[in-house]
Amino acid sequence: MAEVVFIFASIGVIAGAIGTIALRNPFYSVLALVSHLLALAALFLLLRAEFLAAAQVVVYAGAVMVLYVFVVAYIGGDKAALAAPAGGRLKVISALFATVLLVELCIAMVGSGLTVLGTQGTGFFPAFGTPEEIGRLLLTKFLLAFEVTSMLLLIAAVGAVVLARRRAGLEVPGHLSVGELVRGEFDHVNLPGRPGAELDKGTASGARLETQAENAGLPRG
Amino acid sequence: MNEVVLNMPLALVGYYEPWWVQILKAVIIFAVGLQLVPMVLIVERKLLGRFQHRVGPNRVGPFGMLQPIADILKLLTKEDFRPRTSVGFIFALAPIISMVTAIAAWAIIPFSNTQDIFGTEVGFYGVDPSVGVLYAFAFGAIAFYGLMLGGWASGSKYSFLGAMRAAAQLISYEVSQGLALVGVIMMAGTLSLTEVVEAQQAEGWYVFPQIVGFIIFVIAGFAETNRAPFDLPEADAELVGGYSTEYGGGRFASFFFAEYLNVLVISGLTVTMFLGGWDIPFWDEPGWIHPFVVLFKISLFVFFFIWVRATLPRLRYDQLMSFGWKILLPLATVNALVTAILVVVID
Repeated sequence: MAEVVFIFASIGVIAGAIGTIALRNPFYSVLALVSHLLALAALFLLLRAEFLAAAQVVVYAGAVMVLYVFVVAYIGGDKAALAAPAGGRLKVISALFATVLLVELCIAMVGSGLTVLGTQGTGFFPAFGTPEEIGRLLLTKFLLAFEVTSMLLLIAAVGAVVLARRRAGLEVPGHLSVGELVRGEFDHVNLPGRPGAELDKGTASGARLETQAENAGLPRG
Repeated sequence: MNEVVLNMPLALVGYYEPWWVQILKAVIIFAVGLQLVPMVLIVERKLLGRFQHRVGPNRVGPFGMLQPIADILKLLTKEDFRPRTSVGFIFALAPIISMVTAIAAWAIIPFSNTQDIFGTEVGFYGVDPSVGVLYAFAFGAIAFYGLMLGGWASGSKYSFLGAMRAAAQLISYEVSQGLALVGVIMMAGTLSLTEVVEAQQAEGWYVFPQIVGFIIFVIAGFAETNRAPFDLPEADAELVGGYSTEYGGGRFASFFFAEYLNVLVISGLTVTMFLGGWDIPFWDEPGWIHPFVVLFKISLFVFFFIWVRATLPRLRYDQLMSFGWKILLPLATVNALVTAILVVVID
């Protein structure tokens, strides 16, 4: 049973990964990545990491990839080609990076992972991979790493907002308080580029739908 | 620290039932879910009729009771039509994703704890994973692809816009829904749904201490299942039929079926997490009555869903978004925080 699941999940993982980089249509690429992540979750299940598998599906397939699908479906369309094939220099650099990554992974596997290879499989304790155990580890042994990561994510989120405003040609307003942000009172800061601004100002819903559909590239076929 | 157990086969981890019980159980749970959907359909049409001061379906069978059977037969015998602009493979795949994820999520609803049936211990639930309610959220996350791919692959702008709305709505309200349950999980100290119900048998139903979480969960549940007043993905006045506009026949029936099964799943989760599951207060009830108690509570909730649909008008899209992000999400976060502090202080 476990072997059958492993074979199918592995085929799914590898096929998904190849599909992600090989498919020409960005929408199918994203779908291949989704199937890759789902197959990866199945592999986590085989390793008795139930929480990790569920988190993988909820966070990656459910949240991150949803945004990818969203963006690609809106602006990618199936007619938009990906970037031109890479030139000579780019190919050399990418091959170099791939080799470095391969060597690095080999070192990691030989260094630690080889102990799990074998017909018996690795040993584990009953609570392994349960939410309780992961929570306990995150709040004791890996507390610092956990907090630093959350800080990094917060900085990245704030940074993304600031960069998006700058690119839209907006000065970063120094006088927008959190209270105003929560109450949605950003009219005095004048944000035409705010996501959804055109939705708020749309007059008739019909006209709004037309523009959305045209942005989505649907009627241009 | 922990004793290392070597090489346990996968089948032995977390399962103690013989294989034939698992298969039988899967068939029964699936069949019950499958039978409930047409019943919800006829109840909804009848009740909507009453709410709107008319009779509702009354031609097929006694009191129109066979109407859903007629509807389903009609849909299934129709031609499987698809538009020329659609993407065939994904167009066919999308309703299957919706259906499979809805049924998989239904498997988690516990109808009772383990019961002794003719000497065999049987758990009255499909699965009881250690990740508990995250399992339901995982399948909810995959269910998104059913709507999204269906709308995208139809090659029609109404379908596409419906799918986009559905996607935005799902990811907006999923966060609040998850956070609303965090309070319950912290109070029960477990993710497993059967243990949550057992904790409620000991401490009382969580709907009272977690009333804020309950309200948030139910509101987000309406949005997650695309029900009125959050049925913008299929707002027929604006979008014809939303993501399922181009679908007909059996494929449309699948979407329709998945939507109603999702209503049942959300009702079941609410009953389990907040309304004590199979528990009847102040009575040490016998085990066989548990599934009926759960089904009764679920049907009360389904009635509530229909009542709301008959009562409330549809929200505007920007109202939906600002309500989800600016009111529901902060409220859910504060609820989780306050619960966390109280749990630590009281213990």
